[in-house]
Amino acid sequence: MSVQVMRPDGAIAEAGHTLAPARRVLTGARIGVLDNGKPNAGLLMTYVAEQLAERAGSSKPLVLRKNAAHPAPDEVLDQLRSEVDLVITGSAD
Amino acid sequence: MTPQGTSQADVAAAGVGDAGELLDLSDESPETLYRMMSENGWGDGLPVVAPTPSRVEGMLAGYPGSVDEVLAILPPRFGSATVRTVAVNAVMAGCTPDVFPVVVAAVRALSHREFNLRGVQATTHSVAIMVAVHGDIIDQAGYNAGFGTFGPGCRANATTGRAIRLILLNIGGGRPGDGDASTQGQPAKYTYCFAENTLASPWPTYARSRGVTSASAVTVAGVEGPHNSHDMWSTRAAPIFEKIASVMTTLGSNNAPMIGSEFFVVLCPEHAAQAANDGWSRQDAQLFLYDHARLPWRVWQRHHPTRFGLGAPWLADIDDPDALMPMVSPPEHIRIMVAGGPGKHSCVIPSWGIISQSVTVPVEVW
Repeated sequence: MSVQVMRPDGAIAEAGHTLAPARRVLTGARIGVLDNGKPNAGLLMTYVAEQLAERAGSSKPLVLRKNAAHPAPDEVLDQLRSEVDLVITGSAD
Repeated sequence: MTPQGTSQADVAAAGVGDAGELLDLSDESPETLYRMMSENGWGDGLPVVAPTPSRVEGMLAGYPGSVDEVLAILPPRFGSATVRTVAVNAVMAGCTPDVFPVVVAAVRALSHREFNLRGVQATTHSVAIMVAVHGDIIDQAGYNAGFGTFGPGCRANATTGRAIRLILLNIGGGRPGDGDASTQGQPAKYTYCFAENTLASPWPTYARSRGVTSASAVTVAGVEGPHNSHDMWSTRAAPIFEKIASVMTTLGSNNAPMIGSEFFVVLCPEHAAQAANDGWSRQDAQLFLYDHARLPWRVWQRHHPTRFGLGAPWLADIDDPDALMPMVSPPEHIRIMVAGGPGKHSCVIPSWGIISQSVTVPVEVW
């Protein structure tokens, strides 16, 4: 016998995030690293950032830290927004 | 009987994407329900009760507010946990309406900022949601606070914990490998609900110790499964609690690198009675464990470099390699309550770490 059931998932409350547009030109780009403190995350990302900075002809990368399990504090994001053009982040275990 | 303000039409009235959208099934056999769950990425792998509008209506009976009220937004999917949607999942879990107030309160508690549900849902750690029930609702809704309180056999315990997990799976989107990165998972992620044995406790209720004085309350915590600590022989409290401290003192839990997080210590009635016979208050037990659950600093340094980013800043200034470092600080973060039946087995429940704090809230019963 046919039956109707209700969905268990509910509506999504927040709109999906859109990616920032890719930077077309690397020259002169200020590079930043948001290190989440996971083992070797800073080491790997800082190395990549330094390589990019050398190619871009820009100064030494800005490296900031955050707690792995919490969103980055507003002051960290604000500093990145104002001082860099490209951020390397996102390392898990 | 149609509850005031909650008719079947109301329950089914919402638009696309809400729990009001109805799905047509050929029948409500387990096989058909499994197919529906699989096609939509829902469920915990176990059979569910079909969430028909009439069953959901029954779950919502008497709810004193709006069933469209959003109790919480649940990450990582950021699904809206309305009272209605929570009721759908409670039906699926096999809950009776008697336990629904606990489920509602637990969902509210999960949304507290200090709980950090986003991290708890997404981490590689095996953290599960422990639901501890306190007060009058235990008897009213048929929870088991005695023999086997953590285990199977009691519908209220089993289905309350399962409802919370289904809510986090279906609404929150915390699916293994997609939203939930837990490396191995653990059995407690199916269901993890027990009740405080208030009658057997020599101390004020746990909820009251956390400042919640309502007749009924619920605690949610992001924790590992219970680690047994048994002592069959001691006639004094100290040896019992030395063993408990030994179980706490483990390098492998997240409590190790993150001083400042919580431990739950659930004492069996007999161990708690021994402590009380020795004149110990709950605070005495906390202080004893704080003093005894320690590791030498050189052991910490070898296994948990301070630059990990989650250790307390003062750790960097410790220069005595033999200094004994506490597994948890302050002592009040050793959360002690009593549960279980006769027998001399207590348990230690490590937490996910300082990045999540347990929450205790009142349960409004209607």
